[in-house]
Amino acid sequence: MLVFNQLETYLYLALLLFAIGLYGVLARRSLIAILISVELILNAASINFMAFNRFLAPHPAVGQVIALFIMAVAAAEAAIALSIIVAVYRKLKSINIEHATELRG
Amino acid sequence: MNVMLFGPELYYLGAALVFFLLSLKRRVEPKADYQIALALAMGGLVVTGLCLCQQGELFFKAYRVDLFSQIFKFALALAFFFVLTISHNLAHIEERYHAEFYLFLTTTTIGMMMLVSSVELLTIYVSLELSSYSLYILVPLRRGDGIDVEAGIKYLLIGAVSSGVMLFGLSYLFGATGSTYLVDILPKLPQLVASPIGLLGLLLALAGFFFKLSVFPFHFWAPDVYQGAANQVTTFIATASKAAAVALLLRLVALGAGYGYGFAQALVILSIISMTLGNLVAIIQRDFKRLLAYSSIAHAGYFLIGILTMKEAGYIAAIYYALAYLVMNFTVFMVISEVAKDGRDLKIQELAGLWRRSPLLSLSLIVGLFALAGVPPSIGFTGKLLLFTSAMSQGYFWLVLIGAVNGTISLYYYLRVIYASYFTDDPSLGPITVSTPIRVLNYALIAIVLGFGVFPDRIVELAKAAVKTVL
Repeated sequence: MLVFNQLETYLYLALLLFAIGLYGVLARRSLIAILISVELILNAASINFMAFNRFLAPHPAVGQVIALFIMAVAAAEAAIALSIIVAVYRKLKSINIEHATELRG
Repeated sequence: MNVMLFGPELYYLGAALVFFLLSLKRRVEPKADYQIALALAMGGLVVTGLCLCQQGELFFKAYRVDLFSQIFKFALALAFFFVLTISHNLAHIEERYHAEFYLFLTTTTIGMMMLVSSVELLTIYVSLELSSYSLYILVPLRRGDGIDVEAGIKYLLIGAVSSGVMLFGLSYLFGATGSTYLVDILPKLPQLVASPIGLLGLLLALAGFFFKLSVFPFHFWAPDVYQGAANQVTTFIATASKAAAVALLLRLVALGAGYGYGFAQALVILSIISMTLGNLVAIIQRDFKRLLAYSSIAHAGYFLIGILTMKEAGYIAAIYYALAYLVMNFTVFMVISEVAKDGRDLKIQELAGLWRRSPLLSLSLIVGLFALAGVPPSIGFTGKLLLFTSAMSQGYFWLVLIGAVNGTISLYYYLRVIYASYFTDDPSLGPITVSTPIRVLNYALIAIVLGFGVFPDRIVELAKAAVKTVL
């Protein structure tokens, strides 16, 4: 049986993407890199939904609809995040998260 | 489709459109805009009140309207109205952005209203994001020296990660059950919890809601956001978004009712850590809003006590406490925004001599803080009593004991604030003038906090009827 026609392949792929994304969120210091890592997590979820939809779900369209919604919501999220990152850059002259340390306690 | 079923959401959608048009105006008239906003918020209260007894399902059963959701929608409308009443001086938000402030406040209210009615995974996700994204924009709207955008970016990143993690968990739930409807998923929970993929999915899925409620592993954003956002925005986050998160958690748990022992134990641990950590760190805070942020983390632990009992009495207690928390927390935040008229962050020592500067505000402060601490005969005491008795009857003796000890610890730092406002004085601080509407609001809040504390029956009856529609 072809490896591309198995549910496990896609689940492992999604899990790998999720792990890379989570690692990126925790390890990277640049706001843009963190944003990209968040997108990886969302795409991992999309792949999961599509894979489950293709191989398991009784209704053939649900997973695809959800993936479409995730794309739209992720686009809105990127727009808001980038605009706030621009605002951060204007105030701090840097997009390194370690420079944003005024709030403590 | 009956329009009344979707009435509150449609009304606030219309209000959002009005605010959008106002934000496009070339001439900036903050006074006139404020009058319109206040009128629309009052209308919203009436509409949600009229729709209180609606019942039905919408959008292919993805959206359920019942007494439970309508009560919380009324509470959200009330929080929206409350926040607008203290928005008469938005000192820290530039005048040309006032209309946008109202706009995003309205859209986040719509998102939360949809959240409390959602019974399907995609609907939950989309409405959660609608309410969150509006808040992400509201936080950095403050005119400040950099702390606003810092709070904004932290809030956004932690929020985006936790909602991504939640979505990943939801995908496993979808895979394990083949459905996105809670009514299909939750009956399968016992076997889900037994399988690794189901348990992983469930725990990841709860991340997003714990983030909103600022429960222990997802609480990091709360202090920074509370301090960094404008006082009015913080008020909304501290009141409305907590109520919405409690409502959704209740729906998830109540529909399931079969999570089993291990799951309840996990919630017990989270509850204990949240309470203890929140209360201990609050002791050393100097900024009043930061202190309240840690107090909200502690209160998230109290909410969990009611939810983890998985019994009707616990759910009733959680609903009662969520409504009570909304009112008593708002009472304290109203004092903050009235004392800090220029919109600054209030240090605890800046409350010095409040009894002289404004006796009414200092009375409200004392009532609000004692309610948060759970001193009788306030609404907070009754709420805690209901929570603890419901947990006790399920045999969670240690949890109740730790909760009670935590209540005492919290009394210490609340008393510090009261000490600062009654027993210290700073002659350089002049009296605070309180306008007549705010005066009326003060009396009303004190009456609610004390009145429903002594006579809780009506609210408890309402909560009982609401729980019946969910179970």
